[in-house]
Formats: sequence, C-alpha cells, structure tokens
Amino acid sequence: MDQIWGNTTQYTEIVWGWQIAVYLFLAGLSAGALISAILVKWRSNLSAGYDGIMKAGAVIALPAISLGLALLVFDLGKPFSFWLLMFHFNLKSVMSIGVILLSVYSGLMTVFAAVIFKKEFAENSLTAWAFRPFLFIIEWFEGLGKWFDWVMVVLAIGIAAYTGFLLSALVAKPLLNVPVLPLLFLISGISSGIAGSIAVSVIFFKQSVQESNLKYLLSFDTKLIPTELFILFVMFIGLFNMGGQYAIVGQQALTIGIWAKVFWAGIVGIGLLGPLLVITLSLHQYEESDHAPIPVGALLVNSGLVLTGVILLRFYMLYAGQTFI
Amino acid sequence: MGNKRYGMLYDSNACIGCQACSIACRAENKVHDDVHRLQVRIEGPKGEFPNLRMDFHRQSCVMCDNAPCVPVCPTGASYTNEEGINMVDEKKCVGCGYCITACPYQARYLDPKTGTADKCTFCYENRIKPGEKPACVSICPTNALIFGDLNDPNSGICQAIKKQATIKYKELLHTNPKLIVIPNRHGGEK
Repeated sequence: MDQIWGNTTQYTEIVWGWQIAVYLFLAGLSAGALISAILVKWRSNLSAGYDGIMKAGAVIALPAISLGLALLVFDLGKPFSFWLLMFHFNLKSVMSIGVILLSVYSGLMTVFAAVIFKKEFAENSLTAWAFRPFLFIIEWFEGLGKWFDWVMVVLAIGIAAYTGFLLSALVAKPLLNVPVLPLLFLISGISSGIAGSIAVSVIFFKQSVQESNLKYLLSFDTKLIPTELFILFVMFIGLFNMGGQYAIVGQQALTIGIWAKVFWAGIVGIGLLGPLLVITLSLHQYEESDHAPIPVGALLVNSGLVLTGVILLRFYMLYAGQTFI
Repeated sequence: MGNKRYGMLYDSNACIGCQACSIACRAENKVHDDVHRLQVRIEGPKGEFPNLRMDFHRQSCVMCDNAPCVPVCPTGASYTNEEGINMVDEKKCVGCGYCITACPYQARYLDPKTGTADKCTFCYENRIKPGEKPACVSICPTNALIFGDLNDPNSGICQAIKKQATIKYKELLHTNPKLIVIPNRHGGEK
C-alpha cells in the first residue's frame, strides 16, 4: 500500500467472484439433472406416467438455470445492459456462444418441464387457464419423442461443457487454460445432476420412483466419481508436464493457503472419496438387494456429499485460477 | 499508404520511477481514484553485492497485435482500431469482465463509476487524434518513453529500436505487444 506507484488492489482482486462460481455450479446441475431425467425416460415404460426421477430432474433443471442466469446478469458491471448480449454476437467469444446456447436451452427447458408436468398443470384449476392455450405447443414437442430428447441432451452437454471452455479459453490463467477443463465440468455437472435428482425424487416424488431407475442412476454416478478423480489427476500431471508457469501454478494450487485445503479436504475428501465410502459401506448392499426398502437417509447423505464437492470444485477452479497466475 | 501502427518504446534504464507518467495519465484521462491505467513498479534490489540492480516495470496495456482481450468479448465492445490501438466501446460494453480475466498483463479494470471495462488507450481520442503524444510520453522528465508509428521505418521509435536490444513482456504468449522495452543493463544477471 505504501509503494510510490500507488494502490495495487485492482491487480490482486478477484474479477469473477462467488456469483460466477455458483452460476457455473447451477449450469452443470441443470444440465446434469436434465440428462439424468432423459436417461431415465429412455429406460422407462411411460404408460404408467413419468418416473419421480424425471419429475425431480425437471424441478431442478429449470429453477437452477433460471437462478444461474439471474446471477450472471446481476454480476455484470452494467446489469441493465444485458440485452446488448442478445443483439451483438461474437462467435469467437465462448461467452457469446454461451449466450446463444443458454437462450435456446432455457427456452426448451421450460417446454421440457411443461411436458413432464402436463397432467398436473392442465388439471389444476389454478394453472389450467394459463396452461391450456399453450397445450398444443407442448403436445407438439411431446410428440417429437426421442428427437426432442436428443436435442435436449446435446444442449445440456453443450451447457455443461461450455462453462469449462469459458474458463479454459483464458491464456492468462494457467490453472484454467487446460484442455481437460470442459470434460471435468461436464462429468462433475452430470454427477451433481444425478445426485440432485436422486435427493429430490426420494423426498418429494417417492411414490412414483421406480427402484430399478434409482439403482441405475446410482450405479452410473458411482462410475462418474472415479472418472472425475482420474480427470483431476490428468489435469495436474498435465500442468506439471507443461512446465514453466503452468507447473508453478499447478504446485501452488495444490499446496498454498485456503484453496489447497479446499481441494484436498473439500473436493477430493468430501466430494469424491466421501460418496465412494458411503456407496461401498451402505448403498452397495441396497443396489444388490431385490427387496430392501429405499435407504432415504444414506441416499441424502450421498447426494449432499456429491453436491458439496461439485460446488467446491467450481469455487476452487474459479478462485484458485484467478489467484495463482 | 498503409495504416499507422502505433507503438511505444519504454527505456527502463532511463526511467527513474518518478510516477509523473502515472499522474499525467490520471489527470489527462480522468481516471477514477480507485484504479490505475498506468503504474511504474520498482522491483529490487536484486542480485548480490556489488552487482545489485533495481528493475523498472511499466504496468499498463502493452497494445498486443494479437490481443487476448478482443476475441473473448461477447459483444465486440473490445476491439483493435485501424491504428493498432486496443480500445473499449463503452456503449457496447456490458461489464462482464471477460476481457479483464483474459488479459495476461492485468491492464484492464472495471471502472467503478461506469461499470464498463477500461484501460490505457495511448490517449487515442484526446491526444493522438489531434496530433499530440500520449500524456505519459509528453511528461516524462528523462525521455524514457518514445511514441510513434511502427510501420514507418523513419519514425523516431523505429530508429531507436534499431540501435539497441529490446524485449516485449511475456513474449512466449505470442501476443506481440507494441509496448517495446529496453531491459535493464545495470547490475548482475540475477
């Protein structure tokens, strides 16, 4: 502070703070919840109505992306000029591509949620009057069947991966400027979406949850968690091998200060090893058994651990990425 | 007739770290009190006695030819003008901060008053257009700064570059800055 050249706060300040970290988490969560809903749809008999997990997916995905968008807008230096982003596009900018993806995704996500809850909305006297005029649009999309599902899956993968490309495009930030980042965000986003869907479905939609679907998603998440650990391993070994500033930053991010603690205790400990432990010690027996009741408590603990880990991963990447340069 | 390509030569040997450039910049461009477009950092002493050295570092926009701040801008508010100067169109800028995080030279900031990205412009609107030199160049008491057209081989800056070894900050990134630096010749190699 006392240097002759003046205050240096602007050079050490974090430009993208908690709002962006939470947005990155919510975008991945939304995409992941949608993907798990569609995965369940593809293995369900729909004549019995939509599975509770699909309902949970829609209930998470739409509010998550909406809240995320609100955070993005209010984090702008000029929040009320956000509309400029929809009138000036720059396809070289990952952010601009993101704006396009998000516009299409959030629009179609609303339709997807309306399809899932069509019966409820159309039959409830409070919502029917507003809902019915749009019924023909909703039924048209519903009629597209797998085509609509595939469009949504591709969009969801795009949303989860673009949040990684957004950061990995930054040449100035060695920790973020790594090729595996979009993959890491995609895998952890899907993992968080599954965890969220399982938690919401066993709390709110337990009656309509098919256990075979629940077990299927649980086993899928069990494979994603080690994959995430391996991607993190690849990322840091890659940073060390790239040498120069990349190697220095890689080492700092694993050893210095609060962010190193967040990485080891939060992301690796709570977020990845924790769920593996819960699955091995408790949920595995449920997966193997044909008549055990749904272990709601263990499922909620497991989901809580996964979600905590994923949100910490977003905070870690964003803050450590901007701190160590 | 090709376009002009403005550049600046900073002689870190002639610089005495007086910060007159920084003050002139502030006065000329009405820079907000909480932020800087320009600082001269004094780094050191480095090395071992008697081969000690003090390095001077100009902290400002280096006017990259391949500016990382330009392609990332979602609205095209961040652009390179026809004379090679990287600028921000305040009207198009939404203040997302992407250019600030993309800049390897920490040259940009979000203006606390307008909420838009801002940076050194080589005083383009207020001084270059009327035919003057940037404020920092005019004020420098030791003539450590030379400003001119890098496309004109007879310009003062091109003549000065020919006479001595120069570097550019973070050359490995291939940003090709137009702020060219004469590195410190004094003291030891450390």
